[in-house]
Amino acid sequence: MMAVLTPPTESEGRNEPPPLKKPPRKIGRWVLFGAMIVVAVVMLYPFFVMGVTSLKSESQFLSGGGFSWLSWSSLTSVIPVGQEVLSSTIVCSSSILIILCVGLPAGFAFSKLRFRMSTVVFLVIVSAMMVPLQAILMPEFVNVTKLGLTGGYTGAILVYAALGTPFSVFLFTTYFRGVPDELIEAGIVDGLGYFGALWRLVLPIAVPAIATVTVLQFIQIWDDLLVGLLFIQNTSDRPITVGLAVLAAGRTTSIPELMAGSIISALPAMLVYLGFQRYLVKGLTMGIDR
Amino acid sequence: MAEITFDGVTKIFGDDIRAVDELSLHVADGEFMVLVGPSGCGKTTALRMLAGLEDITAGSLSIGGTVVNNVLPKDRDVAMVFQNYALYPHMTVAQNMGFALKIRGQSKGEVAKKVGEAAAILRLTDYLDRRPKALSGGQRQRVAMGRAIVRSPQAFLMDEPLSNLDAQLRVEMRLEIARIQRLLGVATVYVTHDQIEAMTMGDRVAVMRGGKLQQCDTPQDLYDHPKNDFVAGFMGSPPMNLLRANLESADAGVALVLGAQRLAIPSSYATSHHLPRVDGPGVVFGVRPEDVEVRDVSSADSLTTRVERREALGAEILVHLSLVDAEGDNAIVVNDSGAVVARPTMLVAKMGPRSGVSVGDHLQVRLNPEHFHFFDADSGLSLRRGA
Repeated sequence: MMAVLTPPTESEGRNEPPPLKKPPRKIGRWVLFGAMIVVAVVMLYPFFVMGVTSLKSESQFLSGGGFSWLSWSSLTSVIPVGQEVLSSTIVCSSSILIILCVGLPAGFAFSKLRFRMSTVVFLVIVSAMMVPLQAILMPEFVNVTKLGLTGGYTGAILVYAALGTPFSVFLFTTYFRGVPDELIEAGIVDGLGYFGALWRLVLPIAVPAIATVTVLQFIQIWDDLLVGLLFIQNTSDRPITVGLAVLAAGRTTSIPELMAGSIISALPAMLVYLGFQRYLVKGLTMGIDR
Repeated sequence: MAEITFDGVTKIFGDDIRAVDELSLHVADGEFMVLVGPSGCGKTTALRMLAGLEDITAGSLSIGGTVVNNVLPKDRDVAMVFQNYALYPHMTVAQNMGFALKIRGQSKGEVAKKVGEAAAILRLTDYLDRRPKALSGGQRQRVAMGRAIVRSPQAFLMDEPLSNLDAQLRVEMRLEIARIQRLLGVATVYVTHDQIEAMTMGDRVAVMRGGKLQQCDTPQDLYDHPKNDFVAGFMGSPPMNLLRANLESADAGVALVLGAQRLAIPSSYATSHHLPRVDGPGVVFGVRPEDVEVRDVSSADSLTTRVERREALGAEILVHLSLVDAEGDNAIVVNDSGAVVARPTMLVAKMGPRSGVSVGDHLQVRLNPEHFHFFDADSGLSLRRGA
């Protein structure tokens, strides 16, 4: 019987191992990519609808076709958009300023100073993060009303600051624990006090943590309706979210105008997020590589 | 520039952890004092108390004749170099070096001048505009030194500044730090666990253990006349051979009982040392590895040993020897707690690189009788008179 000779394949000829099967990782990446597209569409579709709807007049919206700037041009006559954005900015920036001013030194103290009951005090403060806003809203309202602070910005600023401070204390404490003690001690031997060390040595290297707290608190406060609605009772001082809620609750609400207002309301938070995204990732993942 | 005095300084952490126990030490103006000891011996705590970074539980600490127990670190006028350098990452080399001067309100011109001078001494002039992360380990170490010297402080405090460097750089920086310290003549307290650094750099070396000062002397005196068996075993590389042994009457006086062998002790030791009675508790006998010499023939002052291990270091060979009994077996010895152990009594000897010894060889070794050390079997204190 004659043996059938077959020519060697290319790989056999070069004495190489047979090619590996395509790694299953590639399929997994496509699945992940597909899932991300779905999630992105779900998340972005409302913005698309908002944009398209805001570029129609009321009648075009009802009929389903056409294009018009009318809702944008008439928005300022319906609600004081400029004043409301300014109010939101004042409330937001003042609250964040207080949160940073309290959180930074507290985080520094909890991470770098040795004092009696520090762990207990830290746990008590951090546990406040777990209390939902709704649970303490009424007592807060009663207290702030008794203090006579429900008219302008002050009451809302204090409430936002109180709600945001535990998170900032937690984040700064965690961040500063990663800063070597020797850095602070070197500054102290060089002639700084603890506040000097915080201000001149720790603050410049805490930018990711500061950015993280700022962005997360900005988004939370800017987008919040409840506190603004309850604690800012002067109509002229109300923030944009309250303005939009009032607009939405009107008897003859113009949906395109509401959408235009919503875009104005959502835009600052989105811009802040995109601007600080780099720091945000760094701030939230700090300590993972230690 | 000033002298430093620890007077019964104690540091207790929590309720009962005595990190430093009644430390009394005087560092003269311009002196390079090295604190050395194993981990947890209290040397770094002592340094941190001197810097003002730890409170003092008891005793008094003075710099330049002024008690500084309650003086803030910034007012003590001392400069410290940390183990991990602790450079300010957001500042350039020049800013790092000039920071302390800037805080003290010195003019920009003055700061730049002093930073320039320090950079020239440390050969850092080309790196003044760089950030610490763009520097090598050795350069960072020099910046940390520069940050200390620009201030012209009363004292330099250094906390294991070379331990993060590789072996070659460590040798270079050892010389560099010693050179700068002599150039500036500032009192320096240098903490290390590396006894080679201690021996090569210090004018005097203070050996610590368990928070207590064991001995403070010049490096050579520490090596030649250790006050206790801990110092004897800690200083020197390899360390001194320490053997627990009983004494026995011999023809010419007294002999050490080492397993089945006897080693005659020269009669001069009976006058220079407080040797215990022959039926007493015995002694801890010490001999340095370089005082163990190979002999061709057996004699009254030699021991029969077997080569157990051989470590060639290039310039020398470390030979680990076990004492053997008359039959050539390993001698059974008694350890400190009195239990009989099977581990043979070991001696380490330093030999020349061409010594043709191999594992398993039987050697006659002579222990240089001029350099015997005797320590109390219980307290570990040297039995030398006047020690």
